[in-house]
This record gives sequence, structure tokens and C-alpha cells, in this order.
Amino acid sequence: MEKERNITSMIAAGLLALAAVVGAPERALAADGAALLAANCLSCHSAQGGSISRVEGQRKTPEGWQMTITRMQEQHGAKVSAEDKRRLIKYLADTRGLAPAETAGWRYLLEHDNNRVETIDGRYRDMCARCHSGARFALQRRSEDEWKLLMHTHIGLNPTLEFHSLARDRQWFPLAVNEVAPALARDFALDARAWKAWQAAPRTALDGSWRIAGFLPGKGAFEGRMRASAAGEDRYELAIEGRYADGALLSGRGVATVYTGYEWRGSVDIDGVALRQVMAADARGERMHGRQHFADSRRMGGALSALREGAAPMVMAVMPAQLRRGETAELTVVGSGLAGAVSLGKGVRVLEVVSRSPDRVVVRARAEGRDGLNDVAVGSARGKGLLAVYGRVARVEVEPANAIARVGGPGDAQMQKVGVAYRAIGWAAGRDGKAGTADDLRLGYLPARWSIEAADEEAEKAHDADFVGHIGADGVFVPGDAGPNPARPKSLGNTGRVNVVATVEAAGATVEGRGKLDVAVPDFVQRALD
Amino acid sequence: MKHLKSLNKKAQRLDAAEGKPEAIEEVVAMQTVVGCTATTDPGWEIDAFGGAASLCQPMEADLYGCADSCWWPAQVPDTMSHYPDWGDGKADATRDWRKLDGIFEDKI
Repeated sequence: MEKERNITSMIAAGLLALAAVVGAPERALAADGAALLAANCLSCHSAQGGSISRVEGQRKTPEGWQMTITRMQEQHGAKVSAEDKRRLIKYLADTRGLAPAETAGWRYLLEHDNNRVETIDGRYRDMCARCHSGARFALQRRSEDEWKLLMHTHIGLNPTLEFHSLARDRQWFPLAVNEVAPALARDFALDARAWKAWQAAPRTALDGSWRIAGFLPGKGAFEGRMRASAAGEDRYELAIEGRYADGALLSGRGVATVYTGYEWRGSVDIDGVALRQVMAADARGERMHGRQHFADSRRMGGALSALREGAAPMVMAVMPAQLRRGETAELTVVGSGLAGAVSLGKGVRVLEVVSRSPDRVVVRARAEGRDGLNDVAVGSARGKGLLAVYGRVARVEVEPANAIARVGGPGDAQMQKVGVAYRAIGWAAGRDGKAGTADDLRLGYLPARWSIEAADEEAEKAHDADFVGHIGADGVFVPGDAGPNPARPKSLGNTGRVNVVATVEAAGATVEGRGKLDVAVPDFVQRALD
Repeated sequence: MKHLKSLNKKAQRLDAAEGKPEAIEEVVAMQTVVGCTATTDPGWEIDAFGGAASLCQPMEADLYGCADSCWWPAQVPDTMSHYPDWGDGKADATRDWRKLDGIFEDKI
């Protein structure tokens, strides 16, 4: 016991020294965190000077550290209280996290925006991303020894992985340890300039008033204001007021924690619906961007952006974000401190200001100019490229283009259905007049009619589209019930492959876009990061 | 290979792809939507051709035959290492599938 105490105080002292290099606001937290780490981890991990074995060789996102501690609890019987776990995740992500530049390109996994096909280096895809996402390891930084130990952990916990395709046909373990681990140590290195620079950078508190805009499945686009009050230890209490594009009001409250100086994780209740926010703040603490999803179904969500309100007026968005040439329509310019004349750019005439407040100005406008992205200004405030002016919708893109839904329910079945929220994006052909080329002009989200059809001949033959589920007028696909279905050959479940079709009507023309949807069996293992 | 006849669709496609490395790559290393697995032969959500024909269907028919041996460790709780009790009380998945629950990691 005496020895343990000595080691504990030694490690705490060492980590206190390390805490001295982190930013001033985080210093007190770091001191507590170091002691907490020592108290919770040293019964298994060893102390080496001022560091703890294994922990020092890794850097991770908050969710990455959460998964590590969960594994210690599940696999090794670590007893960590919920409060200690929360504080440990915060401390580890603050002191051994990822810099903003290191998460760029992989944030979709943190946001649970998984309906996409990843682009992964072939050797990592065949070794790692054939079972789980590529972003799961790309959001970690380790020493070479630690990447090697990760391979050992995999083979130890999942010994049959060597029987899988892409493992049984080659020397999996030597390849993993001798080739892939060193490559990972180079591509996802523990020591990185970006991390050192981010640790040294001053931190900006994220309290204050934020103008927010986003999209919520089943509800539509919204804009509003989020007030964040500092509650200590990088936590904020939130109050949100706003309105959807159809005029319905929204209101809610919640809390958020900021990890690593920029990783915003909010938990809010909007009109009785529990939602989670995952955003990244920029270095100056003036903008945040990410995604908001339903707490009980993280695949269902939409973009969320926040702009900090200051003394200067600003234009944040125009709703809707496109105006067809020859059309007269009502547009809402959203911002902060809006005062003065409204300009919607070259070739767009503002016919009438219907209503106005410092937060939003509603105008009736008519477009006569050329195709392009127009700047929008109210008085001295200007938003760049916010309004698309166009003559014809040349093509429609379905978002997400590749998606997975999962059967679930019905009734008392444990696994819930996992749906997909669809939106249609319009594109004009651009100067070359050809759709599908590099100069196409993105018009933003357009209203669409939604339907599904069999994906191919095989799916047609199996009548997949009759069984897999249905898509509503709001673009939300709801999959069918789980379990074997006696109405299908061999009692196949309600799984299958379909195309999701968005039909956009504009100026008498009909344009269709398609996305691929696999309606699959449940995912029974839902980690903090899949 | 000339004395062996391919019996299922995947084998036929592999036969057809023989000698063409790019085609074999396409057959065995189909990329999938994030968090899904295709290449563990068969995959959980999708097979190596991007379809569903080579999957174990319905999955309830032989769930433990595969889950016990960690066949899809990121999608199905394996009863070998991580969750030995997962299938307890649900011995016949074709009848007890409603009772199958997931592993949900708590939020931060």
C-alpha cells in the first residue's frame, strides 16, 4: 500500500510538471486530472518517471479516450466511476488529444455522419477498415511501439481474424506488425508539429452569443441564437431560441463541454427532443461547424454551424439559398445587427422589404442576372456567395449518395430501426452548359418528391423495394421490421438494395437524382466511434 | 483450377477475374459505407461484390455459428472474447431475435 502511495505521488508530481506546459485556464484541471489518472490507472499500468505506461504513447479524440477507458472497464475490470470517467476523458483529450488539423478530413466519424464511402490507403483498408471505419484509426496518434501493440491487442481479442478473407490468404500478423504498424507511425505520428503548435496556442473561451443555422430531419432548415454561459471547467450552459424555415419556433436548453480547446460536445433538449451537438471551433473561437443528431438515433441529423456574435453586424445565410432567373420569391436574410439597405448581388432586384429586425430581413426579390453565386449584403454586413442565381436545374444529387439503413423493431424487439435522412442538392450546368462537369454551379438544397426503386436486376427479382421500408415526403427513409420474413423466399429478412430517387420540379422541367441505399441487418455493436 | 468447377456466384466471379489483378481486387476489397463490413467473407451488411446474394440470409439462421467466432467483431458481439453472455436465453435466434440487444457505448 505504501509503495502504491509513493508511486501515486511520484506520478502525480511528474504529471503536474507536464500540466505546467498546458495553457493557464487548463492548469488546475490538469493537476486534478493527473492525480485522477494516477488513482484510477496505476493499479495496472506502471509509472515510468513522470509518465504512465501505454498512456504516454498515444493521443486521441475525446471519444477515442472514452473507448479506451470503456475497454479497460469491460475487458480488465477497471472500476471507474461515471464522474471520474468523464473527468479522465476531459483530462486525456486536453493533454493527449488531436490538433484541429489532425482531425480534418475525418470529422464525419466524430459527427456520426457515416453514410459515405471512405477513401483509405489500400493497405490500411485491407488490414483495418475492412471491419471498422478508417477514421477510427486515423483519429489516433501513436508511437510505433503503440501501433504494434494495437495489432497485438487485435489478435489477442479477436484471434479468428486470421481466418477472414484478406487475412487467411497472407501472413496477417507479420504484415500487421512489420509493415502496417511502422507505416501508421509515419502517417499518424505521435510527435507532430500541429499538436505542439496547438498546445502552445492561446485558448479562447466559447461563452457568449452565437448565431446558429442548421438542418434537422423531419423539421427542416432552421436558424436561431444559442447563448452559452460559462459553468467552469470548459463547460457551458446553453439556451437556444430559433425558428424553422416554415416559421415554426424552436426553443431549448442544454449543456456543452469543450475538449482539447476546440471540440464542442453539446447535449440539448429542443422542444422535448434530445439532441447531441458535435462541432469544432476555429482557432479564434469565432466559428463552429459540425453536426447535430438525435440522441436516440445518431445517424439521423444534419449540419450545424455557429457564428459568434460581436459588435459588428454580420450576414450568415439566405433561406432559401437559390433564386431562379425570372422568378419572384420571398427570401429571408439571416444575421446579426442587420440594418441598412439589402443587396442580393448583381442582377437580383429587391422589390420589397416585407419585414425586418436586426436578426432577419424578409424581402421579395426577382432574379434577372447570369448564373452564379451572389454576395448578400445588409448595410455594412456582407456574406460571400450565399445566394445562387440560376436558369435551369441541370442535375440533382441525392445526399447521402451512399447510405445504410438498418431494419429494427417492431414492438418489443430490442434493436431500433436506423433510418436515413435525405436531401436533394440542385446543380446548374455552369458556363460549359454541360451537367456533371467541374464548372457546375451548386444551387443548394431544393424541395423534392421522394421514392425508392430496386437497385438492380437482382433486387428487382427479389422485390426488395416492396419490403425494405418507405421514404416520406420529408425525405426520411424508415426501414422495415427486423426478423425473418416468411413472405420472402427462404424467409429472407426485410433487407435489400434500392435506389432512393429525388424528383425536383423546376420551371416545368423534371430532374431526377439517385442515391444508393442498402437496407441491412442491425449493427449490434455501437461504439463511441464505429 | 481447370479441374474444379465453381459452384457459387462469388467463385464464378473469381474465376472470371483470374489473371486480372484489378478485377480480383474489386471482388475481394469492395469498399463499403463507413462502419460496415464486406470483406470478412461473407460481410455483415454487404458481400464482396457490393450485393447481398452471398450473405448469410436470414442472418438469424446461423447467427451464433459466426458470432461465437468473432466473425464480425465490429458489428456483432462476439461471445469468444468480449461478450460471452450475449446469446444467453436466446439460443434459437430465428425464434428469439426480438430479444437480441445491442452493445451501446454510453455518451461522454
